Amino acid sequence: MESSLLWYLKEFVRGEWLTKFFTVKTAPLITPPYFRGFPTLTHQECTHCLACMMICPAPNAIEVLKTEGVWNPVIYPGHCVRCGFCVEACPEDVLAAGVLLETQKAEHTSFSATFHLTINPNTCKRCGNCATVCPVNKEIDPYLGGTGTPSSDEVIMRIINGEMRVIHNEKCTGCKTCEKGCPNHAIKVARVVQGVQEVNGV
Amino acid sequence: MKKIVDVSLPIGPVHPVFKEPCRIKCEMRGEQVLSAELELGYVKKGIERIMVGRPWQEVMFLAERVCGICSVVHNYVCIEGMERISDIEVPDRAAYLRVILNEMDRIQSHLLANYSYCYTIEHETLAMYLINLRETTMDALEMITGARVTCSYIIPGGVRFDLTPEKEKTLRGMLDHIDSELTRFVNMFKGGPMIALRSKNIGNFTREEAIESHAVGPTARASNLNNDCRLFHPTYKKLGFESILLDDGDNYARIMLRFLEIFQSTELIRSCLAQMEPGIIRGGGIIGGGTSKWSGEAPRGELTYDISTDIRGRIKTIGIRTPSIMNIEACVHYMLKGVDSSADVTSTYISSDPCIACNER
Amino acid sequence: MKALQDLKNAVRSRSIHVCYVNVGSCNGCDIEILACLAPRYDIEQYGIYVHNNPREADILLITGGFSPQWEDKLKRVWDEIPEPKAAIAIGNCPISGCVFNRDGTYLDPPVRKHIPIAAEVPGCPPRPTEILEAILSLAPVVFKDYERREE
Repeated sequence: MESSLLWYLKEFVRGEWLTKFFTVKTAPLITPPYFRGFPTLTHQECTHCLACMMICPAPNAIEVLKTEGVWNPVIYPGHCVRCGFCVEACPEDVLAAGVLLETQKAEHTSFSATFHLTINPNTCKRCGNCATVCPVNKEIDPYLGGTGTPSSDEVIMRIINGEMRVIHNEKCTGCKTCEKGCPNHAIKVARVVQGVQEVNGV
Repeated sequence: MKKIVDVSLPIGPVHPVFKEPCRIKCEMRGEQVLSAELELGYVKKGIERIMVGRPWQEVMFLAERVCGICSVVHNYVCIEGMERISDIEVPDRAAYLRVILNEMDRIQSHLLANYSYCYTIEHETLAMYLINLRETTMDALEMITGARVTCSYIIPGGVRFDLTPEKEKTLRGMLDHIDSELTRFVNMFKGGPMIALRSKNIGNFTREEAIESHAVGPTARASNLNNDCRLFHPTYKKLGFESILLDDGDNYARIMLRFLEIFQSTELIRSCLAQMEPGIIRGGGIIGGGTSKWSGEAPRGELTYDISTDIRGRIKTIGIRTPSIMNIEACVHYMLKGVDSSADVTSTYISSDPCIACNER
Repeated sequence: MKALQDLKNAVRSRSIHVCYVNVGSCNGCDIEILACLAPRYDIEQYGIYVHNNPREADILLITGGFSPQWEDKLKRVWDEIPEPKAAIAIGNCPISGCVFNRDGTYLDPPVRKHIPIAAEVPGCPPRPTEILEAILSLAPVVFKDYERREE
């Protein structure tokens, strides 16, 4: 019992404790510089490549919108999880979050993404919706037919001989519009991402 | 034999000592607990169902949000499990950085658990000291990763950020601070007669009971049952890891074990920093199709991810087994039985470090 | 009468009792609220007291994206809080469902549908300072001249 009392006395009559008790209680609450925070714009030119949207893990957190003739990403704070993936994925350094962009520059790290389309032939009913809604297809062939049978062979996918075929997989930007447009969930887009680091400029 | 029950005492779902909603229904004779039953299901989110059909960059965030307290280890085990599917090599430096982060996370989780216990036995002084020390740990996490809780640091083939020499120096300072402060608090915990009165010989949990109830983590190790998954981890093997065991199996032993593990974690981080060599932190690598099962040691015990992916690395099926479910059952069915007062029910429950969000996902 | 009202306003904004309810979060926001208790942030120096009892609370902090179990229970907790009261949504989950708002989820966000929310703190999870600022800036506004508004 005595030892415990002594212990408590020793605990409380410390110089540190006394100064803290009588002077200002907490240090000013500042956000440390290495905190990521919500991504902000750096006013570099956005090329509308949508890499940020494609890697974002949270639903509806980021959108690339055209305001006054300029494309720019818009972050929605109620949805954004502040992971900073969009900052790392952006090839043009349009976004910044805390010191993340500088760190990325110093360490030469980035994400590289490829997109792969797969069509399940058993559930596909050859309606051509995917070919019609695809924004890349629309740019290549503005006169897309309602049945998804464009004349051009430069499109990502089209109906050939009554069958939906993926012709140019490499043109896919992974936006998943076709997935949403498909009535049977037959078409799937795989976003394959890997984290890479350049070593000595390679 | 007919059981005579005087009082049926429900605790929860909203209760001052519970950080998360759950309900304990105790059958009591006077103040003595005869038996207890646990009711869960208040925070079921269906994370495993959401994960299906998603690639790693989305699954990683969902895995992190299985549990907010030990988010790093979920990220760690999930990603290591996926790496094993397609044999992705991790650079040495990244492997050490992962261990550093995991141990940092363990320190903050153990400090939080001990804070909760001290708060529950109404020793607020020690509780406040501990949670203030936890802020130092959170600073270290934030310094390395850029976020306090959901760090999203570990990715397939490496980690996201490097540990620069300046940061390493600050980290060493923080570790020294944690060690010196915690020595003081542990002495305080050992020396307080009231703490011993509220903790020793309460919530007894023998080794046999631990084996029977499949308890894991510190709860089992305080009953001298060694089932630490870090013993089988390649990076921890390099560091020469050995687990700490205690014999008593009461509340005091469980809290003490966590304190000892914090000291062990700081030592592990120091040896990581000593062994680490400069190099790349991201090796790249694409996840393909296959199945794997991988376990890691979360702050609360063994955490298992059972993953199978399709050819493009999207999740086909996933099963997560979190440590708390065994520990909570062990607590409710073995520790709570025979506890002498209803005040000890909550403290015993907290001493097993339950995590409801992990359990229900 | 005005002096009395001023006194009430001053006291109310200096003495805020907080209750928090987890309606399906991952714990991240809960421990950030707990971190506010730490002497580093010291929520109690502003007169905010966290004790998790709805019957004594002025402000209800809600974390999580509303799981079906809370359908009746959250309303009950909300009704138990005496007037004047306000609810703050902490984190992304009660605002939008965060990463859980997808196919296969059991959650039913936003919480706005179920009880009135006075303020929202975005972030996954928000920093303790952000939570602190939200409570401090909301309290004087919500509780100001409460009796006069009632008339």
